[in-house]
Amino acid sequence: MALSVPNPPTTPRRVKVYELRNNDWFDRGTGYCTGQLVNHGSLVSNKVADIRGAQDEPHIQVKSEEEQDRMLLETKIIKDDGYQKQQETLIVWTEPHGTDMALSFQEPEGCAAIWEFVSHVQSHLLSISGADEILSDDANETPISSVMLPSPELGNLTEIEAMIRSASSTNQARDSLGKFVLSEDFIRKLIPLLEMAEDLESLENLHRLCNIMKMIILLNDTLIIEHIVTDEVIFGVVGILEYDPDFPSHKANHRQFLSDTSKFKEVVPIKDPEIKKKIHWTYRLQYLKDVVLARILDDPTFSVLNSLIFFNQVDILQHLQSNQAFLKELFSIFHSTESEPTQKKNGVLFIQQCCSIAKNLQGPVRTQLYSHFIQNGLFAVIDFALLHDDASVRIAGTDVLVAMIDHDPAMMRAFIFRQISDKQKPLTDTLIELLLGEQDLGVKAQIADAIRILLDPSTGLQVEGLGKASDITSRLHPRNHNADRETENFLKTFYDDSAKKLFLPLSELDNRKSLKGLSIAEVSLFSHLVDTLCFFVRQHAFRGKYFLLAENLPSRVAQLLQSPEKHLKLSALKFFRTCVGLQDEFYIRHMIKWKLFGPILGIVIDTMPRDNLLNSACLEFFEFIKRENIKQIIVHLGENYRDQMKEITYVDTFNMLILRCEQLQDTTMPSSYVQEDKSIRNHVNGARRWQGVKDMDAAEEEYFNTSDEEDNAPTPKDSPIKGANGSGSPVPKPLVDYADDDPMDTADESKPEEKGGTATPTKPALEGASSASPTTSPTTLSPTSQKSDSDVLSGAPTPERLSEKRRREEEDDDELGKLRNKRRSPTCGSGSVNVLTKKRGSGPGGSPPTKKIAINLAVKTSTGSSDGGGGGGDVTGDGGGEADDEK
Amino acid sequence: MSDLDHAISLLRSCKPIPEPAVRELCYKARELLIEESNVQLVDAPVTICGDIHGQFHDLMELFRVGGDVPETNYLFMGDFVDRGFYSLESFLLLLSLKVRYPDRITLIRGNHESRQITTVYGFYDECLRKYGSANVWRYCCEVFDYLALGALVVGAGSFVGDETEECEVEVVGVGGDVVTRLKRRDDGAGLMNAANPLQEGSASGGDGGTVGGPPGSGASGSSGGTKGVNNGAVLCVHGGLSPLVDSVDKIRLLDRKQEVPHEGAMCDLLWSDPDEIDGWGLSPRGAGFLFGADIVKHFNHLNNLTLIARAHQLVMEGFKEMFDSSIVTVWSAPNYCYRCGNVAAILELGEERNGSGAGAQWSATAGRGQGSGVVRRGPGRRYRVFEAAPQDSRGMPAKKPVADYFLVNITFRRRKPGVGGFSWALFRMT
Repeated sequence: MALSVPNPPTTPRRVKVYELRNNDWFDRGTGYCTGQLVNHGSLVSNKVADIRGAQDEPHIQVKSEEEQDRMLLETKIIKDDGYQKQQETLIVWTEPHGTDMALSFQEPEGCAAIWEFVSHVQSHLLSISGADEILSDDANETPISSVMLPSPELGNLTEIEAMIRSASSTNQARDSLGKFVLSEDFIRKLIPLLEMAEDLESLENLHRLCNIMKMIILLNDTLIIEHIVTDEVIFGVVGILEYDPDFPSHKANHRQFLSDTSKFKEVVPIKDPEIKKKIHWTYRLQYLKDVVLARILDDPTFSVLNSLIFFNQVDILQHLQSNQAFLKELFSIFHSTESEPTQKKNGVLFIQQCCSIAKNLQGPVRTQLYSHFIQNGLFAVIDFALLHDDASVRIAGTDVLVAMIDHDPAMMRAFIFRQISDKQKPLTDTLIELLLGEQDLGVKAQIADAIRILLDPSTGLQVEGLGKASDITSRLHPRNHNADRETENFLKTFYDDSAKKLFLPLSELDNRKSLKGLSIAEVSLFSHLVDTLCFFVRQHAFRGKYFLLAENLPSRVAQLLQSPEKHLKLSALKFFRTCVGLQDEFYIRHMIKWKLFGPILGIVIDTMPRDNLLNSACLEFFEFIKRENIKQIIVHLGENYRDQMKEITYVDTFNMLILRCEQLQDTTMPSSYVQEDKSIRNHVNGARRWQGVKDMDAAEEEYFNTSDEEDNAPTPKDSPIKGANGSGSPVPKPLVDYADDDPMDTADESKPEEKGGTATPTKPALEGASSASPTTSPTTLSPTSQKSDSDVLSGAPTPERLSEKRRREEEDDDELGKLRNKRRSPTCGSGSVNVLTKKRGSGPGGSPPTKKIAINLAVKTSTGSSDGGGGGGDVTGDGGGEADDEK
Repeated sequence: MSDLDHAISLLRSCKPIPEPAVRELCYKARELLIEESNVQLVDAPVTICGDIHGQFHDLMELFRVGGDVPETNYLFMGDFVDRGFYSLESFLLLLSLKVRYPDRITLIRGNHESRQITTVYGFYDECLRKYGSANVWRYCCEVFDYLALGALVVGAGSFVGDETEECEVEVVGVGGDVVTRLKRRDDGAGLMNAANPLQEGSASGGDGGTVGGPPGSGASGSSGGTKGVNNGAVLCVHGGLSPLVDSVDKIRLLDRKQEVPHEGAMCDLLWSDPDEIDGWGLSPRGAGFLFGADIVKHFNHLNNLTLIARAHQLVMEGFKEMFDSSIVTVWSAPNYCYRCGNVAAILELGEERNGSGAGAQWSATAGRGQGSGVVRRGPGRRYRVFEAAPQDSRGMPAKKPVADYFLVNITFRRRKPGVGGFSWALFRMT
């Protein structure tokens, strides 16, 4: 078959020949370029070629201009779209042995002529092969993209590698190559070469094989990836990938790992062969993703792997949970006396894995799974697990439990009620006992978490698929009443029956003189209890408060301030910071009554002027009081600790407090007579303990009777400083809302309506400066510049993101925005920060206007620091205060 | 100490240490870190490093290039974990060195030293793979809460290089050769563009050595007399500045022991980026701010700083000075994520040579109020650029596979399963 190629461009064109060597273009010389039809037998004689036309091969030749006999370049044009014309004068391609070449023409015409030749040759070659092998439509439509590879042998791996490499550069060719690889079962044909090359110890070929396999996988063809994890080829594929040319002196041991090290454990035989196969495939996909390809995966292939894994998991779980026979057998392990202990243990771990996978699935599927599990006795399994000797089983048990609470807290609470009515020990108590007795610190931490989550009233509020209501909106809008009542009931039961048990170790501190010699487990228990208290203070409005104050737990926590363990001191401090942060009358009065500010001030004095963490945390505590201008506390401090405070001069916080106290005593007496009276009375009561408690109880009663609708926003009537909030307020909005400009306000700021009144009357002038808020919601801004930034990410997440559009971890870069929906705080403190971020959109004053970005706060922060009630010492300065005023 | 030394030697060979040893180490570290201030004072000489991101072998390369601990003093500006495959070994090695040589190494917190971020970007997953439970992750996160938020380097010398050729900036290239020397120019122009250090160096080398600043800068004349005096301090922080922090002292008033918040001063210090803008801008990251040259210069002036060193952003050349050398980004993770193709750098600050550095004290107010006659000169800076560790020295990086499986390994975990109690609903509603 003769090539009917148009006449080759025989006019010599002046050209420079370049070769890529070590990433540099090496100049091979200058010469004259022509296209030739060349016969194998003779490079010279076109006549011979004419005679044996079938052997004609299109070549590009460049003769040196200095030495006429020397060829600078002699290359065959192959059927390959790796040739590129760049700009007007450049042709670039990759030689079959992998070298990148370039021709740089003196004249654009010369370049065009040679390029035309190349294009013609290629379309010819392709149409021939297309006619031979692919009779389908696309051969006619896009002949240029149908890629063919020769049958693999050790001898032609170089060529194959080059062909695949060049085919990888265009989408059409990739598609075509993918089809070819599948239809020709190309991967299976490669595998025998592995053994041959290994026998020959031909590292070169092994590396080529590896390159070929990598490129095939990175074609990102779902069918290919599904194919490579099948039993027939998986070992060959990972075997080939063991010889990575990027690590020439290393050989991975994937085959050995997959065949020997990794173990498929079958707690109960899975009979469906299809499902069993899927389990293996999924494991292998995982292994490919994490190990074999970890370094080289590009984003599209990564997501193909992920979605394959995901859909397999859905299938597997769907099958298991609907297979009653299987479930019966699984759960019967735990009833049977015959089953081996290891089998039971594995049973728990298996269930843990199911639940953990289920988290990725859609809500209804999960619900089904849990309800089937529960029907078969999941709770008994949890009981079994929580009491197991092996810490890993206890962890698994807690894990399952937490997953269930997270999925459907109402379900869990209903279950606990049933336990109570059946006179069984409720799960809550089991958890409490575990927490108190657990020695493994990891399990202890996890159980503490579980208790908090179980008692988190906001867990009942979630509706799958809807945007989660921010704390603030859920406070402002009436909740679902049923869920509310149920949650309330649950909390009531907890506080009636269990809370005392939980906090018993704290209560018992009352009799303890010294905190020296606590064991590690005890210290960790105390810090978990105090963290839990913080959580209750924030989340359980009145019930928590009543319990805490009745048990006088704040005084017990204050004892911990004396602990030699500094981190325990910090935990205790955090508790008081949380109480003060709420600016809640009752906590403040309680702390004043029991003189709990004293020990905190004591820490400042002990640690100053050493500028350590404890010291900073204490300073922050008093800074907050100063900044928020909490008059009751300021007056109390001034009256009781003036002398100590005067001694603390290395920061101005305390002198400012004294000053503020003096001002308050001078000026506010008439206008806030009630409050002053109260604080004085409390002060007096502080000395006469028992009457004080009684007094408190009366106040609590009154509060409980009147605050049904305000559970979450207690606004005691008798406090004039609270007067400015709400719609009935004479001042329609806060003059200055300090909340948003507070950099480290970790305590609950979620009740903006409570604090409007704290602004001093000297502030209104600041209102005008409403421009330029640094606290404007980030979503109003499109990303600006910083292209090099590794951590930038696009806008707000979409609802579907989790379920299907799982993106690569490396790809979805750091973006805090999508983390904002977190619900609970890890330790005490940060949960409320979340609230802060949401507050802007839903504050009582209506939605704020969208802001522009370009703001210049620097001027304000630097120049504005002397005016306003905040005083120059405020961390925030007044710039923040102004900026926040956004109505 | 032998336990600790044993742990260090295990970690140096990139082997994880047993869970009880991690717990022990974290407790010791906690005791140590609780005594540090939010902005830790560090004496020069010190070598400042940027993000590591779990690239253990490149961390070892860093030590090879910069000198080992304790021979060299180090200051790491956070982001030890996530993304790379050896977050655990990298962080624990640094932590154990910290416990072993507390005065030789300073660790400050990056935005990745956070529970929420590590659950998404790999560290949590890695701990789970390597230990089978989240305990170790918990211990580490606990330590994160105690890390300082910044550091202040005092007593840094004005020059690098030998006595005969004193330079303000020296860049040591990948091979260990000096590729750029830049003499001090008192108009404040430093190494503006690290991409072409050679041209930059030769261009400014011509007028190097002249002492007076350009007319009208207020620097001429008097700058000659300020030799060795009041070099100012270098503030090191992971991200950058915050509109809520106008002085270094205010950082002292933060309670840092908490999860990195979503906003506020502490968040900004860890998340902000400098940018070519005026004033403040919102950050596309969704946390922290962008801040312009005016902000940096004002802040430096107010706080008697000559330089802010920060990390947080990938720089292909390893480091990048901005705003007339008033701020520099140092990036120490070469070939980031094993595929970005960038080089990395560390920044060496030497100590003051002619003795005056011994009593170097930084005071926020020292430079203020003395009028424009005082010139604060940036410290002499030597950047060492390095590449990723040679492939052969590290084996093939990969995540550790889980050997036993019932169903399938836990996959693409976007949130923790049932631990921590706070973030497992993170993504459900997004």
